[in-house]
Amino acid sequence: MRKKVATAAVLAAGALLIASCSSNKNEGGSSGNAAGGNQCDTSKGTLTIGVIVPLTGELTALGVGIRNSADLAVSQANEKCTVKGYKLVLDPQDDEKNPQKASQAATKLSSDPNVVGVIGTLNSSTSQNVQPILSNKKIVQISPANTGPSLTRGEQYGTAPKRQFENYFRVCATDDNQGPFAAKYLVGKAGKKKIAVVADGKTYGEGLANEFTTKAKSLGAEIVTREKVGEKDTDFSGVIGKIKPLAPDAVYYGGEYGAAGPFSKQLKEAGLQIPLMGGDGIVDKTYAQLAGKASEGDLATSVGAPAETLPEAKAFIDAYGKKFPKEGYSAYGTMSFDATNALIEALSKTLANAAWGEDQRANLIKNVQDYKGKGANGDVGFDQYGDSTNKLLTVYQVKDGDFKNIETGQADK
Amino acid sequence: MTTLLQQLVYGLILGGTVGLIALGYTMVYGIVQLINFAHGEIFMVGAFGALATFTWVIPEGVKGTWYITLPLMVIAGAVVSMVIALIIERLAYKPLRNAPRLAPLITALGVSVALKEAVRIWYPGATAPLPFPKEFLTGSIELGSILIPKTGLLIIVVAVVLTVLLQVYINTSRMGRAMRATAQDPDTARLMGINPDRTIVLTFAIGAVLAGVAGVLYGVHINNISIDIGFQNGIFAFTAAVLGGIGSIRGAVIGGFVIGLVKTIAGQYFPGGTQYDYVWIFVVLIAVLVFRPQGLFGETERVRA
Amino acid sequence: MSEKTFFTNPAVSRVLGVAGAVLAVIAAMLPWSTFLLNKGAYPDKATLQFFDAPFELTGFRWELLIIGVVALVCAVAKVPAQRRVLRGLGAGIFAIGLINFGFIASAGGGLGAVTALDGTFAFGSVAALVAGVLLVLATIGQPLEEIPRWSTKLPTPVAYLGLVVSFAALLYVVSLTLTAGGQGGAASPYSGPMFLSFLGFAGGMFAGAAGLGVLKWISRLSEQHRVFSIVVLLLCALSLPFTDAGSEYWMTVAANIGVYAATAIGLNIVVGLAGLLDLGYVAFLGIGAFVAANLSGAAASQLGIHLPFYLVVIISAAIAGIFGAIVGSPTLRVRGDYLAIVTLAFGEIFQIAARNNIGGLTGGSNAMPNIPALEWFDGTAFNESITLFGAKLPSGVLYYFLIVLLIAAVMTVFANLKNSRMGRAWIAIREDEDAARAMGIKTGQAKILAFLCGAVLAGIAGAVFAHKTSTVSYESFLFMESVTLLAAVILGGMGSIPGAVLGASLLFVLPEKLREFSDYRLLIFGLALILIMRFRPQGLIPDAHRRAELAGEDAEGHTLQDKPGGDEPEQPKPQEVPAR
Repeated sequence: MRKKVATAAVLAAGALLIASCSSNKNEGGSSGNAAGGNQCDTSKGTLTIGVIVPLTGELTALGVGIRNSADLAVSQANEKCTVKGYKLVLDPQDDEKNPQKASQAATKLSSDPNVVGVIGTLNSSTSQNVQPILSNKKIVQISPANTGPSLTRGEQYGTAPKRQFENYFRVCATDDNQGPFAAKYLVGKAGKKKIAVVADGKTYGEGLANEFTTKAKSLGAEIVTREKVGEKDTDFSGVIGKIKPLAPDAVYYGGEYGAAGPFSKQLKEAGLQIPLMGGDGIVDKTYAQLAGKASEGDLATSVGAPAETLPEAKAFIDAYGKKFPKEGYSAYGTMSFDATNALIEALSKTLANAAWGEDQRANLIKNVQDYKGKGANGDVGFDQYGDSTNKLLTVYQVKDGDFKNIETGQADK
Repeated sequence: MTTLLQQLVYGLILGGTVGLIALGYTMVYGIVQLINFAHGEIFMVGAFGALATFTWVIPEGVKGTWYITLPLMVIAGAVVSMVIALIIERLAYKPLRNAPRLAPLITALGVSVALKEAVRIWYPGATAPLPFPKEFLTGSIELGSILIPKTGLLIIVVAVVLTVLLQVYINTSRMGRAMRATAQDPDTARLMGINPDRTIVLTFAIGAVLAGVAGVLYGVHINNISIDIGFQNGIFAFTAAVLGGIGSIRGAVIGGFVIGLVKTIAGQYFPGGTQYDYVWIFVVLIAVLVFRPQGLFGETERVRA
Repeated sequence: MSEKTFFTNPAVSRVLGVAGAVLAVIAAMLPWSTFLLNKGAYPDKATLQFFDAPFELTGFRWELLIIGVVALVCAVAKVPAQRRVLRGLGAGIFAIGLINFGFIASAGGGLGAVTALDGTFAFGSVAALVAGVLLVLATIGQPLEEIPRWSTKLPTPVAYLGLVVSFAALLYVVSLTLTAGGQGGAASPYSGPMFLSFLGFAGGMFAGAAGLGVLKWISRLSEQHRVFSIVVLLLCALSLPFTDAGSEYWMTVAANIGVYAATAIGLNIVVGLAGLLDLGYVAFLGIGAFVAANLSGAAASQLGIHLPFYLVVIISAAIAGIFGAIVGSPTLRVRGDYLAIVTLAFGEIFQIAARNNIGGLTGGSNAMPNIPALEWFDGTAFNESITLFGAKLPSGVLYYFLIVLLIAAVMTVFANLKNSRMGRAWIAIREDEDAARAMGIKTGQAKILAFLCGAVLAGIAGAVFAHKTSTVSYESFLFMESVTLLAAVILGGMGSIPGAVLGASLLFVLPEKLREFSDYRLLIFGLALILIMRFRPQGLIPDAHRRAELAGEDAEGHTLQDKPGGDEPEQPKPQEVPAR
């Protein structure tokens, strides 16, 4: 009995230790008021912008990048008094990349009359669940990362596109932009004719790989094999052993940097000195770190003009680094920043001469639809399906341990 | 033919890692009948411990010298794994020694989740995969057109050598006898003057050291580690342990090699290819269990430990 | 523990008890935090000066006041099983103190926030911690008393009234629990700790009530009037939407929980009754869901047929059942933990196959989206809001009703199975398979049937799941879900029907309530599993038959460990039957 009490005490102490270790707010003094220094008029109340992304599990880094970037946009707007009379707050919700959890999070946000819009989700599969719930309440949803074409244009997105949800927008390019663009470069410009295609089995990677394959074939390249790796794999020897005898001269990888980096490295160690090409999911400094020196010459496409060439992007990166020195903005940070700003600008326009109420949501949707602006990723705007009008894509190549842009161009569509 | 041999090499390398982890599963199960689900995470923690040592402890100047760096990292990984495993054993498992059989299993699942999350939250940058150093040991041995990565060879050799050493230790040493006795009948062992608690602690420690070593070697070979390496390799290792016959030392390692080979060969030649290579591991497992439920070495080698 | 110490002196115990209770009451009125936290005042005037506004207590301090006053009454008056009651209340007070102490300290950046800083004092949480410790110390000197037995031989109307009141109170507590701390988000940034404090409060009060024997009395009473209690319980469950918890959000969550609860009951047949460990059980839920998705006219389905719901349910259940029998078939030769890995293997195979869009049936990474919602006979879709008895109920409430009825049906099936010939055979197999075989039980048949029954129930739940969530993706059926389900069964108490529902509810409500700790959620889940197994391995509501064997409790539910003079009893170690 006494032992039991002792163990309980130890465990409780441990829990306490954990709790106090986790302290990251340094209030210290007796004046812990966060609103200090804010001169804006916030008399009309507080409005909420929701975020639905994975904040636990293996996609945490991407989700945190999205959340932080949205947070940055919101706090900038609060400082600049973008929405007159209101204070904006961010309400991030974890979806664990699980569609069902995402729908619970969406329901939770949608039942709050002060929610003006939702940034998210990361995965297309979760968006499928979130879309109808938010649509019922006419809440704007802007995704920084959903690349599945069917989300905006329906199952027959190629032949008979049809807008799916009035309230749904996205600032990122779809698979059917990026895949063909990559194929045109790799087959046309780089002259690779025997290509192995590998994808990670997730919506993003598979969609990208499929669109790439179709275009590459039509350009006359031979797809020597199509392989799939597990989303949590770290050892790719099986796949590499299978690719090697087919002697391809390039590998196209659909997926994110977490697996692509190690894959590239192991590929080259197995004696395959060929470039790996991927989509925006691998454009991250971490890729080059994971892939090591062997990654020199690897290629990737990404949406928008290169960040170095845009003052908006530089400003974003600086501001982000100041606010979140420890957590990277990851692959979708700039998109999330642009999406949030689009939402805030549209909100400011909607509420210029009106007070917030649920009846304003339809106006807000209209204003987001009409929004035109410049963001960290170049032009931000939405077409008749809710897709981004920014079809600018850039090819990057790894040089000296980071991605350097080599070519920018327009997507076909 | 080249392809087949190359895939066999890859299979053996994977098998070596899995086998080293499986030893921990099989020993712990043999002695306390607990599927130590957290064992895969012990492997992961070992790899992270070694990476931390490399990043923050080993001085810049000697990082490239493999004969200094590698042993230090292996020792660090083994020590970290062992310490964590012993803490877990003391706090989570020991109080449940007489509890119903499912209770410790659930505890083990809980430990597994908690360990993984703890590393994710508190190891800087562990939310994404982290690069693992190997610059000090690169390149491959070429046999014709077959490449044998040096690090891979290291894994296979270490796995075999450690297994032989372990087997000798258990068969001949005093503590080894104590372990076998405790595995057979803890109460009688106690009457014979053996301290079962100490024996169990030792078993956990040995299993964790092996897992820690495996974690470091895996990191060096694969070049990156993530918090997820524990779960998947843990399941492979668990499968390997069952396949070899739980309680059997050489069964675990041979089971590991079988798992590795099945995965690569199935990925290459079986329908579905790499998409379904995991499935074949489980199919083989089920087949073995149905036709030889005690595993490959479960009966001929009654000695458990 | 029987040697004389300071604490065995009854006078000391008495003083400690009264002092602890008084201190708890005082703690409720003390300030708790020395300064305003970042997100605004926490919680409810916690920075009040001493006795500034003793009558305006809200939130956890109001709860602390109540529990403190109750403790004071129990410490002063001669209540039966006094030490048990005080121990429970003390633990609750300690929990409230610890939660707020930890939260304010961590969110406010240190111990200064909860003690003294810049001339301000806030010893509320410390006082509550001390009060809790004092109350527990007051009870350790003497062995705990027997839980009093109250007569259940009551006239039927009185018994019925007692049951109605008890279950209504239960409904009220459930509703309070769900709404405690608010929905979180920007509006109520401290919902997490407020909710946890409420749990500490409710837990302490429940422990106190259990010590008084009230819970045992209710459970015995309801066993005497089974049918009546089931009807009342069902009515209570159906009236949850009419309480404060009847928001769209909670209805959605409650319906999701319901699906998992039904699945957990199915798993309980396999694990709880037949003792066969299944680590891949969520696959059957997945099979049911994917079958339903394909037969209900989802756009991505290649079959292109849309069958009525009842047919879909039957087919889903049948197909899941077939797979259940297939998975169960190795049990003819495989036993114990070896079986666990076969089921784990099956779960992984299912998941990989679903991920690779096997036969075009699962949609692979694209999932199966846009599964049409169910429709009521008049064409109302199940995800619309309805008006019932003049009350406007939120959307999703029809799914909630459907799932409550589903759970009721599944519970009935389970209860009947458990008491049937087959159920007794399963229990016999669980206890000792060889003995069961020797008694003439066809063990192979029985085990396969257990898997089949479990899978059928999961298949039915899966069909509802598909319509409810409208998208079915392999990601909903990963290994972690199987673990959570298993944890639900074991947490609730193996073989116990209400236990499975309670376990599933806790494991799916807690993450929702604790969203703001989302970063630590899985960590907390893991630690919680460890703690529960450490302190209550028999589960929260242990099955009556299993109590004795599992936790060393006698048939009355008294823990043998706590009996006077009894050192840790030597329990027979469960024999591992070596597989052959």
